[in-house]
Amino acid sequence: MGEFEVHRVRFFGLVPAGVRCLACQPRGGRLALARTDGAVEVYNFAANYFQEKVRGGGTGNRAGPGRAAGVTGVPPQVIPGHEARSVEALCWAAGDRLFGAGLGGDITEYDLARLCVARSVDGCGGPVWSMAANGSGTQLAIGCEDGSVKLFQVVPGGIQFERNLDRRKGRILCLSWHPSDTHIAAGSIDALRVFDVSSGQTVQRIMVSYHVQKVKRECIVWSIAFLSSGTVVTSDSFGRVQFWDWERGTLLESHTVSTSAVLSLAVSEEEDSIIVGTSTGATYQFQLLPVKMGSLEKRWVRTKPFQHHTHDVRAVAHSSTALISGGLDAQLVIRPLMEKMQKKGYEAVLRKFTFPHRRLVSCARKARLLLFQFSQHLELWRLGSTDETGKDGEVLPLCRMPEHLLQLKSKGPEHIYCSCVSPCGSWVAYSTASRFHLYRVRYEGDGVSIKKV
Amino acid sequence: MVAPATLRVVRCGGSTLHGARAVFSADSYLLCASGDFVKMYSVATEETLRLMGGHADLVTGIQLNPHNHMQLYSSSVDGSIKLWDFMDGIPIKTFVVGSKLLALYTLARCEDSVFVVIPKHGERDTFQLVSVKLTKAAGQDLEAKELSVVLDGVDASPKRIAFGREGEYVASVKGINLQVYFFKQKQLNRFSVSATKTKSGNNHFTCIACHPTEDCIATGHADGKIRLWRNFYHKKEYTFSTLHWHHDTVMDLAFSMEGTSLLSGGAESVLVLWHNESDCQKDFLPRLGSAIEYISMSSDGALCCTLHTDNRITIINSNLRFSKSIQGLIKSTDVKTGLVVDPRTKALVLNGEPGHLQFYCLQSDQQLFSLDIVQRQYIHQAGLNQADLVKVAFSAQGKWLATVEEREEVTDPELQLKLWFYDEETQSFKLNTRINMPHEDHITDMCFRNMDELEDDSLILVTAGRDCVFKVWVMVEDTDPEAQQSVSWSCDFVGSYHNYQATNCCFSEDGSLLAVSFEETVTVWDSVTWDLKCTFCHPPGKIRNICFGRLTCSKYLIGATDYGFLCCWNLLSCALEWSAHLNVLVLQPDPLSEHIAAVSWLSKESSLFVFKPNEPRPIYIQRNLCKEKIQLAAFVPRDEPEMIGSEKYLWLRRSQLFFLTDTQELMTLSTKSLEERLTPSSKQLAVEESLAVTPFSLLLGKHRRQQSQEDTDLGKLVVHNKHEQDSPAVKELLHTPAHVLPSASFLCPIFINSLLISKENKSAEEVADEVEMESEKTEDDSDEERDVTETEQEDTSPMELLGEMTCKLSKSQEKELRKIRKMDYSWISAF
Repeated sequence: MGEFEVHRVRFFGLVPAGVRCLACQPRGGRLALARTDGAVEVYNFAANYFQEKVRGGGTGNRAGPGRAAGVTGVPPQVIPGHEARSVEALCWAAGDRLFGAGLGGDITEYDLARLCVARSVDGCGGPVWSMAANGSGTQLAIGCEDGSVKLFQVVPGGIQFERNLDRRKGRILCLSWHPSDTHIAAGSIDALRVFDVSSGQTVQRIMVSYHVQKVKRECIVWSIAFLSSGTVVTSDSFGRVQFWDWERGTLLESHTVSTSAVLSLAVSEEEDSIIVGTSTGATYQFQLLPVKMGSLEKRWVRTKPFQHHTHDVRAVAHSSTALISGGLDAQLVIRPLMEKMQKKGYEAVLRKFTFPHRRLVSCARKARLLLFQFSQHLELWRLGSTDETGKDGEVLPLCRMPEHLLQLKSKGPEHIYCSCVSPCGSWVAYSTASRFHLYRVRYEGDGVSIKKV
Repeated sequence: MVAPATLRVVRCGGSTLHGARAVFSADSYLLCASGDFVKMYSVATEETLRLMGGHADLVTGIQLNPHNHMQLYSSSVDGSIKLWDFMDGIPIKTFVVGSKLLALYTLARCEDSVFVVIPKHGERDTFQLVSVKLTKAAGQDLEAKELSVVLDGVDASPKRIAFGREGEYVASVKGINLQVYFFKQKQLNRFSVSATKTKSGNNHFTCIACHPTEDCIATGHADGKIRLWRNFYHKKEYTFSTLHWHHDTVMDLAFSMEGTSLLSGGAESVLVLWHNESDCQKDFLPRLGSAIEYISMSSDGALCCTLHTDNRITIINSNLRFSKSIQGLIKSTDVKTGLVVDPRTKALVLNGEPGHLQFYCLQSDQQLFSLDIVQRQYIHQAGLNQADLVKVAFSAQGKWLATVEEREEVTDPELQLKLWFYDEETQSFKLNTRINMPHEDHITDMCFRNMDELEDDSLILVTAGRDCVFKVWVMVEDTDPEAQQSVSWSCDFVGSYHNYQATNCCFSEDGSLLAVSFEETVTVWDSVTWDLKCTFCHPPGKIRNICFGRLTCSKYLIGATDYGFLCCWNLLSCALEWSAHLNVLVLQPDPLSEHIAAVSWLSKESSLFVFKPNEPRPIYIQRNLCKEKIQLAAFVPRDEPEMIGSEKYLWLRRSQLFFLTDTQELMTLSTKSLEERLTPSSKQLAVEESLAVTPFSLLLGKHRRQQSQEDTDLGKLVVHNKHEQDSPAVKELLHTPAHVLPSASFLCPIFINSLLISKENKSAEEVADEVEMESEKTEDDSDEERDVTETEQEDTSPMELLGEMTCKLSKSQEKELRKIRKMDYSWISAF
């Protein structure tokens, strides 16, 4: 074994962006994740949840076992963010097409092969808070700031505006299609509404805090789910998860989960399990369990609590074998359901994604330089050095402190996608989704000058 | 009536209630396993109605017969199951199983079998749940040998097995494992929790409860969590949710009758009501006094009852309101005060709740009241040093109470001496003087000078401390004009002897001499001049106890030493009169006679010696008094001298001797036979039955015989005072149904006559003491209400009769009448 000097790099002040939303591909093995800075990441379940690798532009060339992909550290499938484009909602439609919508008011389709925005359509309703695709993946519904729900037809090569549903005041914060595609449930402030898709009319309006005495603050329906039995599940800012019969407009069950808001909710495909995420960082599972052995009467029971996050859990997803949650603490946690696992193995392990699986640091070996990549700028540092040698594990005194050489701000609204420094340290390059920049760095004594090539 | 030849040791209180969960009967009685007995309490009045004895060892389980709610099964460590008719207190059947029974369960589904936990044959510390077939054969004592094992490897605690909805399954927990057995499918599922050790403790299972209508099991854990298990018929897809409030072990769980709410309790002495199995909706009933051991619900769901570790029973309404508390002798962590008799109420006084002094009424087996001495919030936390009461002394008339509290601190004990004055108006003790740090070190003994005639101004309190001095405290007029009271206490004299630790102090009967023991030496002081009169020493060994002889033996001083010597010194000759080799633990003089009781502890058995100081030969010896170590003893004066047949037991005539064992069971010596003592009511019933021809002839006949009978009537318990017994005419009049009575005009003279006679007997003191009567009257009022509920079928006639006659009765007579009505009416049920 050779000898190594280990540097403790404590000057990389990366602030990872929190997870804003998650979308599981229906009947597929992929998970899309959007961060608060607008970046979108795609994970592949088949590859043990590692971020997808795309090589040479071909979608067929996915990485084999994810373990190998993780070890070798191949570039992951990340669509970098954009200053003007936040992502509030993601959904998969028409098989493997990924759409996102955000407060910019646009609906964006992502090109997963080229890892960039394929096309963008204005929603014409102000900021978009929510988006949902119907069961067959042919239609998209978006909920807008102005209270309108708009339907878009997913056509090859884009989306096409179809119609507006009945518009009422109050932003639509969440949407859910009935699995038979006939109705849409939409959650707003203090109320939830059910639309008939064919007529476009509001067929039911339920005040969620109607029976609560002396309501002082408004109740925000943060998340909604429409089950095939006709039950609408809502989670609200009062910390409740409520089950409604939409046709009668009655409350079936109410579970107070937390004293703070329940922000997110996801239903499994079999509709026997629900995961909710709260603003205290806890997630809870609800299960539909028979009341007695062999009887048909079933009830939703809050079962397992998990506390993996330190901050708000803004997004949850329910895959067939795992509960997935993402929070503002930038962690993505995948909690496998032990009872669905056939055997104990690699799949049955709790996973936490705390760090981005991207190369954000590049190293100039000869010049002893490090280049750090942030979303909007780059930093170049010189490593500290020492004269002494010591035994294994000893902390050596530094004769020269690490030095911050330069900070390079990128131009334009697009975020930096990747960056690199040459081994001699005199060339720095970075690229955004559309442009490539190359800089020459000169070292003059203590000073540093930079010139754009 | 001739007293039987032997003295019997009788348990009379403080028996642990921890054998099993209490059971509510269908008609609002509470049944509770208490030591070897099953006790029946009235939920309405908190009274102990019946004491069912018959088991030879600890009762470990009681369950109502699911097919007859007037019957009760009980199991015991002695290996038998008994079926009781608890309304009459009669054992119907006894099934002998053979091995130790540790828990009992019944199921409505199983017609003729019950479930018990027995130790597994041939293996130590493994237990199994078996079903016992109860044969239907005739006869009282039956063998039940038909056992079939249901579950193996269960825990011995009755809290760790529960039967599910309609007896479909049985669940048992042990360690970190939960096993569920389905009877119909014959399927056994095992689950376990991960054995993690956290800061708050491990997550071992401690108790289990099953939902009455749904498939849901609630388990309590040692780390304070409650888990609700569902879907447990799938080995893999089972699931559980967690409720967490308790910071310490969950001691017991109970579902409400509908299953909508769950009750849990633990060491925090807080009952928690969880609504809808939700973590967020819960209600609390705090400050229940001590750790909750068992929780049980009544079948109509209206009441719930908690048994506590200090032998208290609390009855709680369904809306989580405290309803009643049944408390006998409260078990405290350590009885440091000793057994003291309150001269005023004749109640036994000792440590109760932490920091409290309990006044325990021996006759009714009830706590009279609890006096908060320390007056600080008690915090339930292990390892926390709390101030506790260590010494108590009453003045001769009970007017003054001195208490010493200390906080257990090795280097620097925190001491307080408090003097309490009995306030006649509020009928309670009022703090008069508080002395911080009366001694530098622990106080070892404390006594008042008991001088009856000089009660007020020359009262002296002596405290002996480990700081090598004894101090004399006297009352002084308070000079401070702003002070609320006229007197306060201050130190008058400090005595010491060669810098030895003072260990015991004792006044002679006339109060002229004070004996203080300093390690190996006893010093005798003049209580007027505080001169050292003489010293006695009997090496080797330090003095453990000292006391003066009384009455004719007042010239003797008795001392017991560490190395097993009992010495008697003559104070006139200042010489050792006699000594005996005896390892004396307890030395207790009878205040009313010259007898002294000594309890020795030798080779794991306690022996009792009763002697007079003037003769070295003991009057009475009882070897092997009980298996437990006797900690304390006290002579309690009887209300009236008991007639003792045998010469040998004359020392029991004036007072009764009570012992407290180290398990805090209170025992006494009785000359009466078992049935006489245990069930006064059923005994009474027997007398009535043997005589009854018609109630009317009985009435007249009894009245004629009354005069002669008066003095010899021993069939009644000491509880009932003389004047209560001696008017059977009144009793008959009140107890007989109205339609069989002769006309009221005929009965009236007899009735009045009987009242007059009883009035003659009455002592003058009772009439004089107005305040006492006041208090009794309030008691009587509540008694009256209680009677109405109890004797529904017959209460119309006496009420009417009473209405006619009250105009002629004086106040004291009225009181008399009420007292009589307090007596037990259960014999009515025989008609």
